[in-house]
Amino acid sequence: MPDFKLKEAKTLEYDRPAIEKGYTDQTLYVNISDSEITIKPVDAKTKETFIGGKGYDLWLLWNAVQPKTKWNDPENEICIAAGPLGGTPTYPGSGKSIVTTLSPTTATVIDSNVGGYFGPYIKFSGFDALEIQGKTAKDAVIFIDGIDQKIKIFETTGLPNNAYQLSAILTEHFAAGKPRSISVVSAGPGAKNTLIGCLNFTWYDVKRKRARYKQAGRGGIGTVFADKGIKALVVRWDTVTADTNNPADKAALKNVAKLHSREIVELDPKQNEMARIGTTHLVTIMNDHDLLPTHNFRYGQHREASNIGQQVYRRLFDPGFDGCWMGCTVACSHGVKDFVPLTGPYKGKKVFVDGPEYETVAGCGSNLGIFDPHTVVEINFYCDAYGLDTISVGTAIAFAMECFELGLITETHTGALSLNFGNRLSALELVHQMAKGEGFGQIVGQGVRKMKEIFAKDFGADPKIMRDIGMEAKGLEFSEYMTKESLAQQGGYGLALKGPQHDEAWLIFLDMVHNFMPTFEQKAEALHWFPMFRTWFGLCGLCKLPWNDIIPEDNKDTPEPAKVMKHVQWYADYFSAVTGRKATPDDLIEMSEKVYNFQRIFNLRMGFGRREQDAIPYRAVGPVTEDEYVSREERYDNQLAQIHKVDINGKSTAEKIAILRNFREQQYEKLKDAVYKRRGWTSDGIPSLDTVKRLGIDFEEVLDLLNAHGVSS
Amino acid sequence: MITVSGSNFPWREGMTVADLLKEIDDSQPCAVVRINDTYVSQMNFENTVIPDDSEVFLIPMIAGG
Repeated sequence: MPDFKLKEAKTLEYDRPAIEKGYTDQTLYVNISDSEITIKPVDAKTKETFIGGKGYDLWLLWNAVQPKTKWNDPENEICIAAGPLGGTPTYPGSGKSIVTTLSPTTATVIDSNVGGYFGPYIKFSGFDALEIQGKTAKDAVIFIDGIDQKIKIFETTGLPNNAYQLSAILTEHFAAGKPRSISVVSAGPGAKNTLIGCLNFTWYDVKRKRARYKQAGRGGIGTVFADKGIKALVVRWDTVTADTNNPADKAALKNVAKLHSREIVELDPKQNEMARIGTTHLVTIMNDHDLLPTHNFRYGQHREASNIGQQVYRRLFDPGFDGCWMGCTVACSHGVKDFVPLTGPYKGKKVFVDGPEYETVAGCGSNLGIFDPHTVVEINFYCDAYGLDTISVGTAIAFAMECFELGLITETHTGALSLNFGNRLSALELVHQMAKGEGFGQIVGQGVRKMKEIFAKDFGADPKIMRDIGMEAKGLEFSEYMTKESLAQQGGYGLALKGPQHDEAWLIFLDMVHNFMPTFEQKAEALHWFPMFRTWFGLCGLCKLPWNDIIPEDNKDTPEPAKVMKHVQWYADYFSAVTGRKATPDDLIEMSEKVYNFQRIFNLRMGFGRREQDAIPYRAVGPVTEDEYVSREERYDNQLAQIHKVDINGKSTAEKIAILRNFREQQYEKLKDAVYKRRGWTSDGIPSLDTVKRLGIDFEEVLDLLNAHGVSS
Repeated sequence: MITVSGSNFPWREGMTVADLLKEIDDSQPCAVVRINDTYVSQMNFENTVIPDDSEVFLIPMIAGG
């Protein structure tokens, strides 16, 4: 164990309030610039409007930053909150923390939803949310001790950078013999030396006697954390029971929790087996449907995809309970035991790897042309240890590889690394370079948007082709689904507030496979309802998997099977039982609408949040290159001839690509129109005055902002 | 005999996934099934023969992801 020191810089003793119906009604503010620690009350209006979780985070962040605040300014904050239902151990998927900050890659608000014990423990320690502001040069550890009712800021020396080692050491140090009482948040050297850093949140695995990890991955939150000089956050809490949230109606909570939990135990083995193989079943399914990104989203299918599919991970995953929150029956956070990396500082040593999930398999596997499961596991391991987001790492390396294959960059630029698709050692080397902030990996670690600028400015690469194939929107790298044949999912990515992450809407199967939404209006309705309902999970501290990844057997007999309304009703009952605030399914949507529209307005305040920022690269819409067109020529030719009534005889591939592009880009613009209308926004994508008034978010600052953007009636 | 989502179902030689789905007449759209540990997608339903004694599960792919 390294010789480390923790020197107390500040301590605040406090009286922990009783939890009342899922709330503590206060938040914790820590400024690490001057070691200020303050406890703030939450007023009734804030509680009613923002509910908790992401809603609270956004409101705290809104009040902390200015329109010109940059991600690395001291006034930027990292906010972490659980939400009123968070920490319920009887209801599946109730242990999420929601993290927000101003992102280094998007320059506006980013939010990320993560498992582990931190969020619930913070709440049980007395705080509905934690906001951290300021910067320090002294490697700070912030310790929230909910048992002894003390908050401490330490200056540290000698602690390791690696997230695995750091979390293990701090868990042991603060646990007082009870490691399950500890949750640690940390980043890593990759977070410090790139813009795509993630945060590692721990939960303690009693059976395996080790801290396990989940990641708040998207948008560089870990980079903000490292830039602030925070080494780690540590929280300590005691036993958790169904009563710890002090629910309003214990009997009702017990009843609805039992219904959902039992259903998952009964049906998950018959459906996706998430308790056994996590989300890896998606690999071959996506591949079959031409939806698995390969070679920087050029294609959706590869003959070797099964090499990185569920049958392989079924063997690799260490069997056992893998719930990232207590009592969760989905329990999908699997890991690989006794894995031996072939490269890097852990070369030849046995390690435990948390993951991979589908996104990592697709992003760091197929999208790089890598179909070796061990390489995927090794990239997964090092990304976590270094504090790097596997989705952004995968999509960024994929872009660099395509630029290399197209000759836009050469070995002169890559430091002699050969970056052809499928080059496993080069992919791993880039990850190690990102951690060190060295070599070409330092450039890749800036993310796709900045790579495009650097390649054009410094290497003379063609910006036009890079605009088409660089898979980012709003500055965030795409997560790992192909969208060329699903207009609704193009909207699911392009119209998402924070950038192209599928957590707002995943409509590919409903749209492309089942053809449930043939009209623009139907797509717009889906792009209203699904993002709103998914937002609600982030307000309450929940995971969305129990909602629609395990489906009731009678779902097909319900009026709206796509929405799984039986579960939506259960969630309304769950909310009512804990908070005492009676809610219907429609009420849940309205709760989300307030926060969702507020976040859109927050984007506007930061200089974004308009129609032009909802653009997506053409690679997400249709075939960019002749190779892509020719690979699915029959499909594209048929669409031109039959849907668009184009006489394709005698037309070259380049001409057909141009005609198809024109049609598809027009369709995307029409989709924007339909969605903006459905959401109550102007044609420029700004929430209308009527909308903000209807939702009760017509604060003076909001009205001034809308007025400044020409929205006044 | 096979099982379909946990219930017994008579098996016959050469039965494909497409045959099975027609026979059970399930109105829920089904794009993926699992036969034991193997996932089979709709484009392969016609040419995937179900072995005797298999466990077959209809996989709901709705709006997960």
